[in-house]
Amino acid sequence: MKRILLSIASTLLLLLVAVTARGTIDDALSFALEAAMPAVKEGFTVREEYWGGDMTAKQPKPIAHQLFKGNEYWFWMGTDTKGAKISVHVYDNTGKLAEEDSWQKGQKAAAHIRPKRTGTYYLLVEVEKSPEERTTWSLAYGFR
Amino acid sequence: MNYRSLCALAGAVTLFSSGAYAAPPAQRIDVSQFPKEVKLVEQVVVPVPSEVFAVLDKLGKPNWAEVLRPLKGVATPSGGKEQISLMLGSIIAEGFVAVEAENVEEVKHIGNSVRSLAKAIGVEKAVNRRANSIVEFADKKRWQEVRRELDLALKDVREAMLELDSEPLAQLVSLGGWLRGTEALCQVVSKEFTRDGVELLHQPVLIEHFDHRISMMPEKSAKQELVVRVQSGLREIRPLMGANDGSAISEKTLKEIGRTCASLVAAIQSKSR
Repeated sequence: MKRILLSIASTLLLLLVAVTARGTIDDALSFALEAAMPAVKEGFTVREEYWGGDMTAKQPKPIAHQLFKGNEYWFWMGTDTKGAKISVHVYDNTGKLAEEDSWQKGQKAAAHIRPKRTGTYYLLVEVEKSPEERTTWSLAYGFR
Repeated sequence: MNYRSLCALAGAVTLFSSGAYAAPPAQRIDVSQFPKEVKLVEQVVVPVPSEVFAVLDKLGKPNWAEVLRPLKGVATPSGGKEQISLMLGSIIAEGFVAVEAENVEEVKHIGNSVRSLAKAIGVEKAVNRRANSIVEFADKKRWQEVRRELDLALKDVREAMLELDSEPLAQLVSLGGWLRGTEALCQVVSKEFTRDGVELLHQPVLIEHFDHRISMMPEKSAKQELVVRVQSGLREIRPLMGANDGSAISEKTLKEIGRTCASLVAAIQSKSR
């Protein structure tokens, strides 16, 4: 178990190092991956692909996502813009809030869900406020 | 969905007016107001195979050796780039079954097959390291690592294809993997039919996504006999998966989905095309 944890931690570290060198989306991702650390220690597998872009404040964006009942998921969002406040929430296909919990802290936000059904869900990512006109963000997720 | 496509999504229609959504989160949102890019499932996060296998791990201990369809040595390319892309995806999916069956020799065949097929479509360089790791970890029976490398092989192939401006082929790799994965899922669930097991097949958004992607392909690819057949198969499967999340899928329907996927996978892996 210790070896697996070390392997995961080193993978995340490599990801962090690798992405830091590649500019602002990846800077945002490094915040998302920092947010992932506690869940990784609890056995979540982080998918080594990420999503991101830039957006203006107060204009949430939906991302359709297939989730499976029986898994639990964490979604982690990050931004490299200091002073920005971001959020991510999970809704089912009827538009009902489906997450078990969520949090926001500094340049990071996260949402946790144990899907009650297998099917389509929508992640709603938002920059709630920001000193910049457009704010770069990135999203990663993990499952177990 | 990669960064570029999500940027496109990020530029799409504004959903909510300023101030309509603030912490704490809204308990309910109106999904009918989503931009058509989302409703038309152009932009969907396609799960990695490990996500499905993670659930199957929790449902019991299926006899994976029965589900495994062993390769006769290293798979060789057949047909055009479209068929090879579909084949590559299906072989990677077979790798997940071989991992579950803990079949070292088969996983090694699959690692080498991935290399052979990737070479035929010009993305060998991107997957060489993964193929080596798959073989190496299989030898050491480090199954979790093999599973991870298979996930990453799929990702690396897709990314390499995107770099070559072969987005349609990247979609076909995902689709080939999805078809073999779904066939295997049907086989496992039909051995011991449970509501939780069969519910894993409720994936309408993915079918609609793949169908839409085929429709968006250049005519030369979309009109190929095999691609036409695959799209037609997807349209047969779609209504069987139920209209709403949680819709019941009967044992008979499960077998029907499995048969359709099996015939498509057989066509994909056929040498005669």
